[in-house]
Amino acid sequence: MHPARGIGIFDSRGKTVQWRTYPELLDGVRRSAARLAAVGVRPGDRVLVCQPTSWGWVDAWCGALWLKALPVGLAPMGNMAAAESYLEKVEGVLERISASWLISDAALRHEARKHGAHRTAKAVRTLEELAALPLNAPVVEPHADAEEIAFLQLTSGSTGRQRAVMLTHRAAIHNTQALDDGACAPHGGHTQARIESVVNWLPLYHDMGLVGTLLYCFAHGYDFWLMRPETFLGRPRLWLAALGAHGRALASAPNFAFQQCVERVEPSELVGVDLSNWLGAMDGAEMIRPETCAAFSSKFAVCGFRAEAFRPCYGMAEASLAVTIDRQGKGVRTRPVPQGVGGGLDLRETVCTGAPVLDTQVRIVAPDGAPLPEGRVGQVCAKSPSVFAGYYQDAEATAESLQNGWLSTGDLGFLTDGELYITGRTKDLLIIHGHNVMPHELEWQAESVTGGGGTARCGAFSIAKGTAGEQAVLVVEVESRDSEALRTLDHGIRSRIGQTLGLPLADVLFVQRGQLPKTTSGKIQRGELRQRYLDGKLVRLA
Amino acid sequence: MEKEQIALEVIGQVSGRQIISLKPEQELVADLGIDSPKGLQLLAELEDRLKLEISDEDAAHMNKVSDILEYVRQH
Repeated sequence: MHPARGIGIFDSRGKTVQWRTYPELLDGVRRSAARLAAVGVRPGDRVLVCQPTSWGWVDAWCGALWLKALPVGLAPMGNMAAAESYLEKVEGVLERISASWLISDAALRHEARKHGAHRTAKAVRTLEELAALPLNAPVVEPHADAEEIAFLQLTSGSTGRQRAVMLTHRAAIHNTQALDDGACAPHGGHTQARIESVVNWLPLYHDMGLVGTLLYCFAHGYDFWLMRPETFLGRPRLWLAALGAHGRALASAPNFAFQQCVERVEPSELVGVDLSNWLGAMDGAEMIRPETCAAFSSKFAVCGFRAEAFRPCYGMAEASLAVTIDRQGKGVRTRPVPQGVGGGLDLRETVCTGAPVLDTQVRIVAPDGAPLPEGRVGQVCAKSPSVFAGYYQDAEATAESLQNGWLSTGDLGFLTDGELYITGRTKDLLIIHGHNVMPHELEWQAESVTGGGGTARCGAFSIAKGTAGEQAVLVVEVESRDSEALRTLDHGIRSRIGQTLGLPLADVLFVQRGQLPKTTSGKIQRGELRQRYLDGKLVRLA
Repeated sequence: MEKEQIALEVIGQVSGRQIISLKPEQELVADLGIDSPKGLQLLAELEDRLKLEISDEDAAHMNKVSDILEYVRQH
């Protein structure tokens, strides 16, 4: 226990902080566990937690864990207009993981009833309802076997259903050790001598937020400053200001966040903020753009930020979080992408994401599974105590990703001097603002507008454009060439996707039927489609 | 300056569009390309410039330019 250290959670405006020491956190967790038990939660139950970043979230998630139930962080509904779509997803998740608990609020229950999402409506328990319960006997102090599943992490699945990553206590704890070992290299010495605090706005239902900051702080007793993603996105300077205020700090973010700071924060707004104590700027969760890191370093040098603080890293929920971390502490290093590399995002140079973390092996394999030598591009595979135990109740998906303890990441890259460089993906996945989006999510929404999906299809993929990072492109097969009709369709598609997924589309191309490359079984070949788009081979109707 | 005029200025600034091209029926995401990060920037700027505090619930209902103008008129 770390009696003097604690956790401070900012309010939604980033102004006031509610602080609890670690012992106080533990008391709160015990109480929360007792309340969950009182409402009927049993060990092994899956408990979805859908709260903004707050003590409510921490108490609910940790309380479930304390009770030896399996907490599962769930992203909140973004937009009221997307309620139907969101509730469909939640109903699916509840069914998928056979869950009957959803710690949320009365508003969600109301929406769920309105839209006939019965499972959701029934599962909702609000914090107020839990707080009102009379407490029975305190919950027995839990003892967990390292190999027991501790919690689940939701991640996008390739067939439209979200998958739930199972993480054991061992895996999660191992990764917090691996993170510290990586982040504090090459300085060595006891890690507590280097870092005092972590300042985080990443959502706690995201692996980088949950494992990378919350569990990381719990494991090492760092001071933990938490703010909401909306607080950062509304006023990015608040994150930088907090970093300047809180000692030797570590903070993680995806590339787009550093880009937001470059575009929206002026050093003049950070008078008196000293960023020289920002020792580790962990950069991961999406493609790292060297131009962004350079621009950020340059702009905030006047505030003391050192370019060497940047620590590119690579990982995923299926590996708890970290697979590789830059251990050299020399800032962002790049290499040219090897010639003739496909499956890429049209990159010319790629950033070094560092060496495999503690006890972790990384190898590059060819499509047939044969290991490849350094310098050759192939699929990145990883083996480590941090690797997941499989997808909950989905043996098929598990078998696809996990073989003999080796995780097939679906990402493409190469190794040089024992360090990993990511060049693209084999899996059809878009990562926008650090969040995974499956192409079919975009395609289904578009097809609901076009009325297609039968013989007239859509294909979605992402392209990377400089500092703007990854952006979504949609190619739509149509019958009509009428420009008025296509304009209406374009608006309808953008509107629908905007509301349900909150994503703008960099481009919507209308093409003649038959232009989308497909396999003999009719599956859209998105990689090939992207290549044709980049090569200018698609004939645009509008 | 009229509250609605300020709101339009902010929308124009965040979306990178000329104020003159903004129309009430335009959808923030579909027509003006305002994604989640930009949407939050929009809210923050409206709050700062109009001295408002926009609740999460009110924000969740803002999908079009007209929604914002209506809100600003009423607060």
